[in-house]
Amino acid sequence: MASGSEDTFWTQDPEVAASTDVELLKRAWRNEKASPEILRFEEPLVERVREQIELLEQTVEELRAEGKDELMISLYQMDLDRTLYLLRSYLRIRLQKIEKYTIHISKTDLWGRLSSQEQAFAQRCIIIMKEHLEQSVLGKLPDGYKDVLKQSLASEDDDMVPEPPLDTFVFCKSRGDLGPFQLDDSVYYMIVHRCKNDYRLVQKHMEDGSWALVMLLIP
Amino acid sequence: MYGRKGSQLVRELASGEAGQLTSFNNDLFDQVVRECNEHKLQLTSLFEKIKHDGLDIERTRNADHFGAVIHHLSLIRNKRCLMSYMYNRAEMIRSLRWKAGRVLPVEIQGKMTHSEEEYFKKHSAALESYMSAMDIDLTVDMVPPKDPYIQVRVIDDIGEVLLGDQVISLVRNSVHSLKRSDAEPLISQGLMEEFLG
Repeated sequence: MASGSEDTFWTQDPEVAASTDVELLKRAWRNEKASPEILRFEEPLVERVREQIELLEQTVEELRAEGKDELMISLYQMDLDRTLYLLRSYLRIRLQKIEKYTIHISKTDLWGRLSSQEQAFAQRCIIIMKEHLEQSVLGKLPDGYKDVLKQSLASEDDDMVPEPPLDTFVFCKSRGDLGPFQLDDSVYYMIVHRCKNDYRLVQKHMEDGSWALVMLLIP
Repeated sequence: MYGRKGSQLVRELASGEAGQLTSFNNDLFDQVVRECNEHKLQLTSLFEKIKHDGLDIERTRNADHFGAVIHHLSLIRNKRCLMSYMYNRAEMIRSLRWKAGRVLPVEIQGKMTHSEEEYFKKHSAALESYMSAMDIDLTVDMVPPKDPYIQVRVIDDIGEVLLGDQVISLVRNSVHSLKRSDAEPLISQGLMEEFLG
């Protein structure tokens, strides 16, 4: 295991001590980016961040009106831009996942992870996609093969629904010492440690927030 | 050979440049659809023959039955190829909305079918309704900001534009220092470019 100097390096890691809303947003954003499936929508967090962005915008306006120091104004502006970027990117990534796996999300309990506006968007996506496919392909096919979700009348389940790949590799980092634990037949020791794992195995820990995804590695 | 045209269609998709929409191959598409309908005819006639011979449809396992199974399997394979062709093109079209904005350049429009153009418009509308429900524009700020202001050089003559609270005259080849979020939509439309150096 690591020597003393590495331990102190990790405990000083700001990730572990994340407490401000921007830090929390950054973590949510990073998790969303690395995860193959859509995660729970952080509604209260997004609300708070938007309020803070508004506050920052007002502050910048006031400073400009008072003709204050250009450097200070541009620092506030940078902060504002960066937070806005995080928020936009977070919402964008979710939207792109929804666009890609709409039907799958609507049929499983992943639906509950969407905000109400996202659900409205997803409903429209499904309708639009079905219309498009029916018009260009399915309408021309023979009877018994016209369904958009089943290959044919002979299929028992909806076998034409694309699903997100849950067996991609991810890197994860735990927030604090979890002690020894088991993950699919191997025993791991995690002390604010980074390890590589199949996403499915990590899924459960993602839900309760004890882990954060760091990077996605595609095999 | 059954399924050959279907796989040709899919291979065409796979061999194109990633993310680039190719011209819609109407001929091949129609051929595959026609094949599907032929399979169905053959299938139906084989089932009729089984019934005509007085055998039980559910349980008979003779040459006719297996012939019908082959037609059925080829049919669903063709269906999968067709669906995958349309579906992947739809995915590329969606990504165009993020990359190129609301209005598509004419060359790309020429490669889409009428149904695909409709799909693009409706999808664009759905996105816009989401953005207005959330009261935030998601098509700007596509890269992390390094600087709140960015130097741009104007490529096409745009004329007078209201940016922020100033009216700026965007004449060809002029260089301006603009706020990043103002400049981005114009850059993605190709009317301006970032001025480096």
